[in-house]
Amino acid sequence: MISKQHKNPNTGSIWIVVAAFNEATVLGPIVSDLMRRTYRVVVVDDGSSDATGQIALSAGATVITHPVNLGQGAALQTGIKFALQQGAAFVVTFDADGQHRPSDIARLIEALTDYDAAYALGSRFLGSSRGMPLGRRLLLQVAIWLTRVMTGLRLTDTHNGLRAMTRDGASHIFLRQNRMAHASELLEQIAASGLRHVEVPVTIDYTRYSLAKGQRLSDSLAILFDLSAQKLHR
Amino acid sequence: MIAQIGLSILLAGVLVYAWTEYRRAPVISILSMLVATAGLYFVWLPSHATRLATLVGIGRGVDLIIYVWVVISLILLLNLHLKLRSQSELITILMREIALANARAAEPSK
Repeated sequence: MISKQHKNPNTGSIWIVVAAFNEATVLGPIVSDLMRRTYRVVVVDDGSSDATGQIALSAGATVITHPVNLGQGAALQTGIKFALQQGAAFVVTFDADGQHRPSDIARLIEALTDYDAAYALGSRFLGSSRGMPLGRRLLLQVAIWLTRVMTGLRLTDTHNGLRAMTRDGASHIFLRQNRMAHASELLEQIAASGLRHVEVPVTIDYTRYSLAKGQRLSDSLAILFDLSAQKLHR
Repeated sequence: MIAQIGLSILLAGVLVYAWTEYRRAPVISILSMLVATAGLYFVWLPSHATRLATLVGIGRGVDLIIYVWVVISLILLLNLHLKLRSQSELITILMREIALANARAAEPSK
């Protein structure tokens, strides 16, 4: 398959950050696909007990290994920091479970340059999502509403792991929420940065695998607790 | 009297502790200082406690003080939780640096 030509010619300055915890069964083809599109890929192996790191390495990615599992937020922050250290012009976060399409990345980067934005956030509600269960849809709607109340950002999708940032945008992000609350924290920091953001339609492929890895209602209560606990200190 | 002195020392300890925590967690600090001050007040003026207790619908002043003590303990527990959180943030930062220092790149294949 020949990938679409990017408007931005220098894909070498685009770093894709993939946070992976025990994703050995699905990660290989995803990394290979990203590498074929000549992106630079950093996989943060978040203390996996399976061969995640080895598979990512042989697929061509740079691998950073957390000695123990810290959580997706911590892994993304590690990846973002690494990408910035490597001189990335753009940083893209990409889920390891195969629900995102590598072909969407080019559109996100285009949106950053076209709209002169610092953040391009993927939205499954502007785009399409296949096989999304009703419960998941309702949960995401509540998250969207809460985000509007807490950050003032009017988004159509607040918990989409596919996002692109300019170097400037990425350097305004410092995720302290190690676990799943990082998605909300990131939006708070985007709002606080005062930099421009755009939403870009992306396609999410819900598979049995990605759904099993996804969030449940009890997780969202834990997220709310994490977010409010953070407000109380430092 | 002995009980009052003992309790006063404990509550004064809470006050000092809360004060030292002020820079790290202002909300928690102020809350525990308020509660501890109220505690000190009622330890020495139990009749006021009884009056306040009946006012809010609790039988005896002693009960009110016990409840206040429970509340203090819960606040301190929360503070402990927050401390653990900042500990784990530090550990995260440390681990991130270790991980970044050991980044492995794929063998160049061109």
